[in-house]
Amino acid sequence: MTSSPSPLLLPLAALFVAFFVAPLIVLVALSVSVDTAGTSLTAANYLKFFTDRFNYSILWDTLLLGVKATLVCLVFGYPIAWICARASARWQSVLVFLVILPILTSVVVRTFAWIVILGRQGVLNQVALALHLTQEPLRLLYTEPGVIMVLAQVQMPLMVLPILAVLTKIDPNLADASRVLGAGEWRTLWRVTLPLSLPGVIAGCILTYSACVTAFVTQTLIGGARLIYMPLHIYQQAIGANNWPFAAAISVIFMVAVLAAVALLTLVGRKSETYGAA
Amino acid sequence: MDRRGLLVGTAALGATSLLSARALAQAKTLVAATFPGTWNEAHRNILAPAFRRATGATVTQSIILGTDQVARLQAAKGSRPPFDVAIFDSPQVLDAAREGLIVEYPVAKSPHYAELLPGFQDKWGPKITIQVIGIGYNPKKIATAPKSWDELWEPKYKGRVGLTALNSQLGIAFLAELNRLKGGDEGNFEPAFKALRELLPNVGAIAANLGAYATLWQQEQIDIAPYNFNFVQTLKGKDVPVELAIPASGPVGWSTSLHLVTNAAEPELAVKYIDEHLDADIQAQMLKPPYDVIPTNSKVKLEGAITQSIAKNQDDLAKIRTIDWDKLNPQRGALIDRFNREIKM
Repeated sequence: MTSSPSPLLLPLAALFVAFFVAPLIVLVALSVSVDTAGTSLTAANYLKFFTDRFNYSILWDTLLLGVKATLVCLVFGYPIAWICARASARWQSVLVFLVILPILTSVVVRTFAWIVILGRQGVLNQVALALHLTQEPLRLLYTEPGVIMVLAQVQMPLMVLPILAVLTKIDPNLADASRVLGAGEWRTLWRVTLPLSLPGVIAGCILTYSACVTAFVTQTLIGGARLIYMPLHIYQQAIGANNWPFAAAISVIFMVAVLAAVALLTLVGRKSETYGAA
Repeated sequence: MDRRGLLVGTAALGATSLLSARALAQAKTLVAATFPGTWNEAHRNILAPAFRRATGATVTQSIILGTDQVARLQAAKGSRPPFDVAIFDSPQVLDAAREGLIVEYPVAKSPHYAELLPGFQDKWGPKITIQVIGIGYNPKKIATAPKSWDELWEPKYKGRVGLTALNSQLGIAFLAELNRLKGGDEGNFEPAFKALRELLPNVGAIAANLGAYATLWQQEQIDIAPYNFNFVQTLKGKDVPVELAIPASGPVGWSTSLHLVTNAAEPELAVKYIDEHLDADIQAQMLKPPYDVIPTNSKVKLEGAITQSIAKNQDDLAKIRTIDWDKLNPQRGALIDRFNREIKM
């Protein structure tokens, strides 16, 4: 058996290099240039980013937003995945379809729908006022809790599907064994099901985190221009201020930061895979 | 069929796709850029049929914002541009001309150019309208029309004022006008930012783009905000409660113009298209609701909503104040940056 890579991989590798690696190299090259023509090199763009507190407050806010939105998504997504996994075969396909349904519509449509729901005269406020939970309409739009709420719903399928995939593979005998040995339902969930489903949870978190942090449409439509996150900052520098090199530098820094977060999560994931091993 | 035959056949099929689609087509097609919203509807419903009648060619619209057009033309520099006719607001004209993305307008080939009011003629491209800003307000919540920009600062509007980010013309025009009223000029924007800081407690929402800005009005999230004439008319046509009041300091605006792009595929058609837009008949049709485009041809009689608040005749049109974009444009980046720092929560 030979260990050399198959020549059949060459077309895919060529595609990858042309459409992924090459543009990335162009981006990095642009970020160290003085202008778009690439006349001379400079580190000024990166220095400009790091010497200004305003810029890393935006970076920090964005990374933190991702963490909060992912946690909310996990809290709501895990039970949904659990219900889907426990459902009978017929109901399971219906429930999975319902989970996937949001992805089939455009994210712009979904976000605009949320504007109608969260607005002053929206459904949420009408219910809250009718139930006398509050005297005045709640301010949900253009606030960070509003953005987190919408992000959690919009990215929900990315959290539910990996967890569901792992939950269905867990041997049901393990849960039975746990009950036979005297553990209650909650104890079984906490000590048996949850650790075994951790790889799925980590995978879901990685996907959801990357999606939440880079969700330009949702962040700008729900957050408005006062909640400035990295995607909006990049867009304003590139298209609004026409400062492409600086925008490229911000993009590279953002990409590295998200990659670092994902690498961290992957490391945790790798450790958790040992739980399932016999 | 053996493998060699299959390969040769596929290669031949691929080769035919290299032939330009336009070369094979019988009728000629022009690709022209247009702004989203009422603009693309006006162009599709009024300009395109008139163009077809005049030249027999069809128009394909490329719906895209001004700053994005500049970005795309820059990306395509050196090869065929993605569209032949560009539509820009005043600031983008300077950027595009400097980068060599547009060519000087061939006035000799454009008969209607001479009919434009002098203020709307320009060597880079004729101006097809002037967009005027004023104080937009919700007539259901505010009974009397506001008379001055200062009313936005009144405590009774706490949390009810709206603004838009500086990447749109509306945002920059408002800031520039505010700066002028507070005593600053293009070299000094401190008065404007000081006034903005004082306005912040009243601000309910700042929209990141004009689409989101329209939803603020539709959802009645804000009651009073700077807005422009065309968008107000469009929203009114959709039964959204909004009116425009021109403050006592007078109407101020920026112009929108059409340009011939460098290396255009169909330059003759492009000039005919732009010329058609300057025709008095076409502009008179666009003046009517729901488009309400302010005309620039001296032969168009002003009527309708424009005469109520902005201009009763051609002389008034010439008096609408514009902003000195030559001085303002280089500072856009710095202004956007400063604006973001002031408003960030």
